[in-house]
Amino acid sequence: MTEYEAIIGLETHIQLNTTTKIFCSCKADSWFDPPNTNICPVCTGLPGALPTLNKAVVEKAVLLAKAMHANLLPLSYFARKNYFYPDLPKGYQISQYDKPIAVGGFLDMPMNPANGQSYIRHITIDNMHLEEDAGKTRNEPGRRLIDFNRCGVPLIEMVTGPDLRSADEAAQYLIRLRQLLRWLGISEADMEKAHLRCDANVSIRPKGASHLNPKTEIKNVNSIDAVKEAIGKEIERQTNEMEAGHKIETWTLEWDEDAGVLRKMRSKETEADYRYFREPDLLAIRMTDEWRNAILEGFPELPLERRARFIEDYGLPEYDAEILTGERSLSDYFETTVKTYKGDPKRVSNWIMNDILRMVNEAGKPAYELKLTPAFLAEIIQLVDSGTINTSTGKNLLGKVETSGRAPSKIVEEEGLAKVSDDSAIREVCAKIMAASPNETASYKAGKVTLIGWFVGQVMKEMRGKADPQIARKIMEEMLSQ
Amino acid sequence: MSLSREEVIHIAKLARLELSDNEIERYQQQLSSILEYADRLKELNTSQIPPTSSVLPARSRFRDDVPVESLPTDKLLKNAPQSEKDQFKVPPALEGPQ
Repeated sequence: MTEYEAIIGLETHIQLNTTTKIFCSCKADSWFDPPNTNICPVCTGLPGALPTLNKAVVEKAVLLAKAMHANLLPLSYFARKNYFYPDLPKGYQISQYDKPIAVGGFLDMPMNPANGQSYIRHITIDNMHLEEDAGKTRNEPGRRLIDFNRCGVPLIEMVTGPDLRSADEAAQYLIRLRQLLRWLGISEADMEKAHLRCDANVSIRPKGASHLNPKTEIKNVNSIDAVKEAIGKEIERQTNEMEAGHKIETWTLEWDEDAGVLRKMRSKETEADYRYFREPDLLAIRMTDEWRNAILEGFPELPLERRARFIEDYGLPEYDAEILTGERSLSDYFETTVKTYKGDPKRVSNWIMNDILRMVNEAGKPAYELKLTPAFLAEIIQLVDSGTINTSTGKNLLGKVETSGRAPSKIVEEEGLAKVSDDSAIREVCAKIMAASPNETASYKAGKVTLIGWFVGQVMKEMRGKADPQIARKIMEEMLSQ
Repeated sequence: MSLSREEVIHIAKLARLELSDNEIERYQQQLSSILEYADRLKELNTSQIPPTSSVLPARSRFRDDVPVESLPTDKLLKNAPQSEKDQFKVPPALEGPQ
């Protein structure tokens, strides 16, 4: 059998998280609102209504263009894309066409296959379009119901070149894009809420060939798992067709999430049918150097750059660096803690990956909103390092600080949590436990030495965790042997 | 430049218009003569004139990202020939699977 490789390009639509819509002052996010409540003459296409561009939309697009190494055009224009559909009240969508906000760009994506060598996949971007979303259509028996709340919600359309080579790479691209959008704070990028939508163009060819075969377009994939599954199935189907000597036809396929199958869709208008022309109701976007520089002031270090730096500067394993830079506020949290702690960064990483990550997930809020600040975490680790408290007391302290917002050293002092390494105090408790547990003591003396764990547990409990478990064990063994 | 009968039917379809045979013939003539009229521009020598991509001034005008009150739902739905559950009601999709 011939070995094939897949050629995949992704067309993504990114919903920007502006407060208002792209061309009118209606609220953009209607996720929790009843149908047709965030609407006005502009977004419902009433005659005579005129669009005005939301400045924040352009600002967010500039951030994404910078992150994707795309070139902003000094002058970009809107265009009308004409087609009839009930959820498009004007009969056209305001989009961009020949002069979009930015052209070109790329993302260098690290791939770490579970069994195989790591590599970087260079993914090119054709261009970035600003456009308005259409309304929502709900199919009911014998009719369709239209909600215009989503009309005019700002989108960026970003299309990759045919640069992805597997379903895994396509999924990874979406994961990286989602991470980047959240990092920049320009989109919530929740695929289930359609903040990030994706169509996939898929074709295959014999491995090593340089020509492109006819492709199919997969629509309606709304989770990263679905993208992976749908592309995988389409590669399999095309491979079978080719092996059987059939030609691949340029179909549009729809992913049926529930059934897990691809279905052929109706033929769409061809590009010429959209009859694009310059939108006469809107002025150009003039991107001056001055404005661009103002928008890019304070532009953050990007996730993949930070990931590389954490490995380089802090000697972290790739695994740690990946998790710590998964989200911007967590990576800031880590770095601030390391700077305050001044010890081994890997130690901070362990505390964050074992405990802080869980607290962040449970609280459902970003790391910077924790009452357990990086300074407090650094203090707790230092208290453990210096032997003032033991590790389990340290772990308990995390929750206590988070609940009270008080300094760890204060809590240690007030609750008397400092580790007791004073022999006499421990000896006193050991004697008390032996006296209270004649049966266990007898068993131990009769040779059941595994009971030592139980005895040490009793000591720790009695001393509320303050004893050094190693010292407690040594003393207990010594006293039980007498 | 003259339009074919098929082109007129295609244009009518894009505009969701149903045309009778008479109308197709009439619009074929009318649209063709409009195109011919516009074609007269080609008689001008424009080799020394830069392409005009917009007649509007090359500067932006923006709105701040601040919400204002929306249109009440019932006012919007006054324009709907039919509505249900505060939404526009339209016929089901006609184009089924092929």
